[in-house]
Amino acid sequence: MEERKPLFTAKDITKSFSGTQALKGVDLEVYPGEIVGLVGENGAGKSTLLKIIIGAQPQTSGTMTMHGAPYAPKNPMDGNHAGIGMVFQEQSLIVNLNVAQNIFFGHEDRYRRHGFINWKQMNADAEQVLANCDITNIPVRKKVFDLNFATRQMVEIAKVVNVAHRDDGKSCLILLDEPTSVLNEEEVQTLFRQMRKLAARGHGVVFVSHRLDEVLEISDRIYVYKDGMSMGNMETKSATEAILYEKMVGRNSSNEYYQLDKQIAPKEAVVLEVKNLSKFGVFKDISFKLHHGEILGLCGVVGSGKEEICSVLCGDESPTGGELLLDGKPIRLSSPEKARKAGILMIPKERLYEGIVGILSVEDNIALSNLARLKSGPSVSPKKITAQATQWIDTMNIKTNGPKALIMSLSGGNQQKVVFSRAMASGCDIIILNHPTRGVDVGAREEIYTLIREIVANGKSVILLGDTLDECIGMSSRVIVLQDGRITAEFDASVDNKPSQVDVVSHMM
Amino acid sequence: MSEKTAKQRFFKREHLMRYISLVSIVVLATAFNLMQPNFFGRMNVSSMLRDDAALLVMAVGMTSVLMFGSIDLSMGAMCSVSNVLYVRIILLYADKFKAAGIEEPNVGGVMALSMAACLLVGLCSGFMLGLIHVKLKVPSFITSLGFMSVWTSVAYLISNKAESIPRMMKGASDWYKNSILGGWIPVPLIIALALAIGFYLLQSRTVFGRTISSIGGNERAARVAGMGVDRTKIIIFTLAGMCAALGGVFLASKIKSSDPTLGDPYTLMIVASCVLGGTSLSGGRGSCLGTILGALTVIIIKNGLTFIGVDAYWQDVVFGLFVLVMIVLSIDRSKSTRGIAVK
Repeated sequence: MEERKPLFTAKDITKSFSGTQALKGVDLEVYPGEIVGLVGENGAGKSTLLKIIIGAQPQTSGTMTMHGAPYAPKNPMDGNHAGIGMVFQEQSLIVNLNVAQNIFFGHEDRYRRHGFINWKQMNADAEQVLANCDITNIPVRKKVFDLNFATRQMVEIAKVVNVAHRDDGKSCLILLDEPTSVLNEEEVQTLFRQMRKLAARGHGVVFVSHRLDEVLEISDRIYVYKDGMSMGNMETKSATEAILYEKMVGRNSSNEYYQLDKQIAPKEAVVLEVKNLSKFGVFKDISFKLHHGEILGLCGVVGSGKEEICSVLCGDESPTGGELLLDGKPIRLSSPEKARKAGILMIPKERLYEGIVGILSVEDNIALSNLARLKSGPSVSPKKITAQATQWIDTMNIKTNGPKALIMSLSGGNQQKVVFSRAMASGCDIIILNHPTRGVDVGAREEIYTLIREIVANGKSVILLGDTLDECIGMSSRVIVLQDGRITAEFDASVDNKPSQVDVVSHMM
Repeated sequence: MSEKTAKQRFFKREHLMRYISLVSIVVLATAFNLMQPNFFGRMNVSSMLRDDAALLVMAVGMTSVLMFGSIDLSMGAMCSVSNVLYVRIILLYADKFKAAGIEEPNVGGVMALSMAACLLVGLCSGFMLGLIHVKLKVPSFITSLGFMSVWTSVAYLISNKAESIPRMMKGASDWYKNSILGGWIPVPLIIALALAIGFYLLQSRTVFGRTISSIGGNERAARVAGMGVDRTKIIIFTLAGMCAALGGVFLASKIKSSDPTLGDPYTLMIVASCVLGGTSLSGGRGSCLGTILGALTVIIIKNGLTFIGVDAYWQDVVFGLFVLVMIVLSIDRSKSTRGIAVK
């Protein structure tokens, strides 16, 4: 790599937002044909750096070069012209337009003739754009709505490569901000193949992900960021998850990732019994028992019915058949409110859309589920709300400017801790965890595992839909496997008897 | 978008919202007073405040609905129905009393009965509206438009012409003229203010009220957190229906007669009062205290335009434009409403 010239460099980039420094001087170098991994906890500054590189935000100080020339974008358009394209964390395709329309979105002028758009030409060009990325199996006339996430991602990448494409044939830099968070295992592999192809053509790729295993698999070199500073970079050959983890978090990774030493054997007593539960067309004849102090894992691919079972159990949807017995008594849960009062609460999957009320403060978000118990006289007591929040901020180690800070000013992991605090404060005995660690960085993830262990240690019970299969097996004391809306297997997952992933997967499909 | 600019915009808006009604009240009142020195006379002030009372009771109901992100466009029509119904029932009894030869009937009893009937109709309307919106998941906008059409028609069916409260029953409207503090503060305004403060306390101090703003902030999250979302919405729609009905009774007492089209212009006035008072049309934030100022602003414009002699046909043009300008000035245009606070 001695005589190779870097495709892109960033030197001493700093960025401050109203007082707080998000970046305290980071460097990044990308060589042509290289896939660079960027890892770090939430708030380490990864996304901020990418946004600066593409031109969506200006840096406070520092310089960048592209193809050896100084590069100072004022907006993403400048970035594109310089040959830099970015796939944002949230997919930016417009779902009710077709693939071709999305690829040329904003560039329709090229196809305008007498005020009408020459669709034929656009479709042909779109096919060419996809072919340039070796994609031949996506029909350009198909609505994005009808594509799965992985395919959408392919389209998005093709689009970005096209936008960043330079007529002089120089290579591009493609930035991928957590592209895998919405993909399943198989889709991730498709994405990786695509990334390798890009690199093979001499383009540079920057890949950000929370999943260290993915970064280790795909990248050639890895940068580790911590608190807005670069903790150095290393060849992937010489990196392991443990080394990365230590650099990111600043302490040793506990080998007992899932804290098996704290896993307790559930008690005999059954809290919730599900009998022949069915929902027409979704799942059928689901029966299981949930014991005191148990973490019951539900595994299955998307569409196996596990999400819908949770929706029914937390009262959000009604079943079409079967019954629920809570402490031996039949119960009907017609709304999440009824379920909460009966002692069942769900921590939802989509934090932003289902988990938090963005316009409210941390303390108000914590109090959502147990307001009725924070009264003094007929009115809700603001003092009690603050006191409760202060206590949980302390217990959960939530990083916030105080109980009255806006929930949106917190990082994703801390927001999730607020949602957990609410569930704990609710006093519910059965907590349904729907992907509790989704979009949460490694350090916070570990804290959440501790929390889950504590929840059951206090005699409560948990139904867990893990973010990964590994997590589901690692955390649960029993695992139920679902396929096409039916239970296909049940595994004991006590500390020394964990089923292997292969065992579980074989029953999933 | 960077956090800083969002914050700045928010503070700017918050700043503006807090004072916009107050400032416009002062500016408008001063301007009108310069054009017509009698504007601040006792007669006109107490007349305005009586107008304000009727508008305020309805706007208070609407504020709660807007606060969880819905809207009730049928309030004006409900007000008309209640208005004609109130007078109709009184007329029915007047005829009965006449037939029985009673000279000095028990007006209080009749008044209470007809008011109760009106409130009951408002209650049923609001309840059904809420039920359809919540259970059948029809947007409140379209549901209430349907209700508006129904109630506009029903008002005509009850009475297709304006009717006056007869002399023998004048007790049913006289109460509205009473005032305290040397004739400056009318009794109905006191009732309306009490209602507004009551709603304010309900919104800010109770579990119920906090549920309202949580729904406005993120309905899905409020539901998943186990809050009584459906129930809260239905109750608020019911209360709003009753507020509209009460507004109709107030107006009947004020003009001592009924008119099946009376409530039509009020829908816009109600929404304008709420928005000028700082209630967000997208839900989550707002307060009945703000609505008190908002309603007063609306009344001052309406009254002032008449007072300085603006042609009746032009008044609504001026009023409509004014409301648009005020809303343009005050509306929350920040893209990510999620990221911005109420408190």
